[in-house]
Amino acid sequence: MNVIELNGLTKTYGGARGIADLSFTVEQGEIFGFIGPNGAGKSTTIRTMLGLIHPTSGSAKIFGKDCLRYGPELRREIGYLPSEVFYYDNMKVKDLLNYSASFYNKDSRKRMLALAERMELDLNKKIDDLSLGNKKKVGIVQGLLHEPKLIILDEPTSGLDPLMQQRFFELLEEENKKGATILFSSHILSEVQRLCDRVAIIKEGRLIALEKISDLKGRTYKKFKLQMKAGSDATPFAIPGVTEWKTAPNGEVSFLYQGDINDILRRIASLELLNLWVEEPDLEEIFMHYYVSREGAGV
Amino acid sequence: MNIFWREMKASRKSLLLWIVGIAAMVGSGMGKFSGMKESGDAMSGLMADMPKALQAVFGMNGLDISTVTGYYGMLYLYLLIMAAVHASMLGANVLAKEERDKTAEFLLVKPVSRMRLLLEKLLAIALQIGLFTAAMTVCSIGFVAQYADDASRVTEDILRFMAGMLFVQSVFASVGLAIAASIRNAKRAVASSACVMLLTFLLSVIIDISGKLGFASFLTPFQYFAARDILEDGLSPAYAALSVTLALTALVVAFRSYGRRDMQI
Repeated sequence: MNVIELNGLTKTYGGARGIADLSFTVEQGEIFGFIGPNGAGKSTTIRTMLGLIHPTSGSAKIFGKDCLRYGPELRREIGYLPSEVFYYDNMKVKDLLNYSASFYNKDSRKRMLALAERMELDLNKKIDDLSLGNKKKVGIVQGLLHEPKLIILDEPTSGLDPLMQQRFFELLEEENKKGATILFSSHILSEVQRLCDRVAIIKEGRLIALEKISDLKGRTYKKFKLQMKAGSDATPFAIPGVTEWKTAPNGEVSFLYQGDINDILRRIASLELLNLWVEEPDLEEIFMHYYVSREGAGV
Repeated sequence: MNIFWREMKASRKSLLLWIVGIAAMVGSGMGKFSGMKESGDAMSGLMADMPKALQAVFGMNGLDISTVTGYYGMLYLYLLIMAAVHASMLGANVLAKEERDKTAEFLLVKPVSRMRLLLEKLLAIALQIGLFTAAMTVCSIGFVAQYADDASRVTEDILRFMAGMLFVQSVFASVGLAIAASIRNAKRAVASSACVMLLTFLLSVIIDISGKLGFASFLTPFQYFAARDILEDGLSPAYAALSVTLALTALVVAFRSYGRRDMQI
């Protein structure tokens, strides 16, 4: 069964681009990554699904029902964590969570305490006094409080320290095991890679790729940066799989590599180096690559 | 009803301050009446000799301020302004603050329709205006009765004044709500609503000063229930009907545009 079904979803803001002709489906029980650089239209898509904004054309269905017509009914089963959390400043965390819980016909007192304990959230503090990371924790607890069947996360990790991020991911995995479907929006590919089964990549409001993580991993790029001793010859790197070749005046070269990692390491070993960095390329670089390869293939 | 109760809880402090303000305003206003009474006819003669325009500005158009009801009628204009400020700001703020403080995102992803949100907000506005007017009524009757020879007749007049005030409040609060429901920039909603109220007040003053623009009275709620008219003829049924029509129209606008609009967050 499809939990989310977007059909040609388009939203324009008076001529300015929002999202254009976006179609994809998320199946039940999936953890679905939704990635793209800032301003690509991730939040616009999510807000349309939640009924906060109205699509210009196309439709979004959740649990098979139109998300505008059946909004309130559908939202009973949706938990949402926005990228920036804003709450009533002069409320206590406890009061806010109770207020949030009062919209659902469930007794979630126990769950509230359990979640707060796991996320190390102090229930008696005022919202106004919380740090960004702690506000985010409030968001996590209020998003998961009513045991939603669909969890929608918009850049959920910003502001969380690594330990909390870890616990949060564990929580999500547990919810997923219990049957929840998760839509995880992010601009960081690596955090999506860890959790997700499939990802949709969007840029400038359009879907540019829909991939299984397992496929994506088979084609991962590594970013190499090396500083060579003066006079070294860089010709060993003239092999297939090397792209984005750049040289800096101080003898530093950087490039992206896709292919057998042993191959490239043997070539590196034959050189006299001052320094070496191997990194995950950031999303922009991968995107750039998507563009290049797509245009090159005439798509 | 959770949105309604949350709203009432959030605004109890400001409502309390308004009520203290009402008591201070009515109390100090009526306090001056005793001084006025002692100076007797001289004072009212002096006031009556003032140019008509000045009388209009002071809100004593055609009122005999040596009588307690006439004096209260003069004070009524100021109380009406206070009520209009409260209503127009409340009507806009109750809704606009959710978008301005970006809590609309929290609220509208809950399983509530925008209609229900608006309805509960409207109830909170209605109750606060009711409490505001109730406080005004109690203070007025309490302070005026000390100076009245015939307390029950004065009370009747005050109740009529308060009914008129309630109509004016309904108009300004509904217009404020309609503005907040349709304006794209929530930060400007309260200012816009207050601006509409202020413009109608200026128009009302101009009508009073000129004395010739009576035909334009229907444009400003401040003219609907002028103190002298209430004392002489009671509440005008035509203006009462116009107030209700205006308020209902504003509410229709509010519900229709809020349902269709994109949230600005």
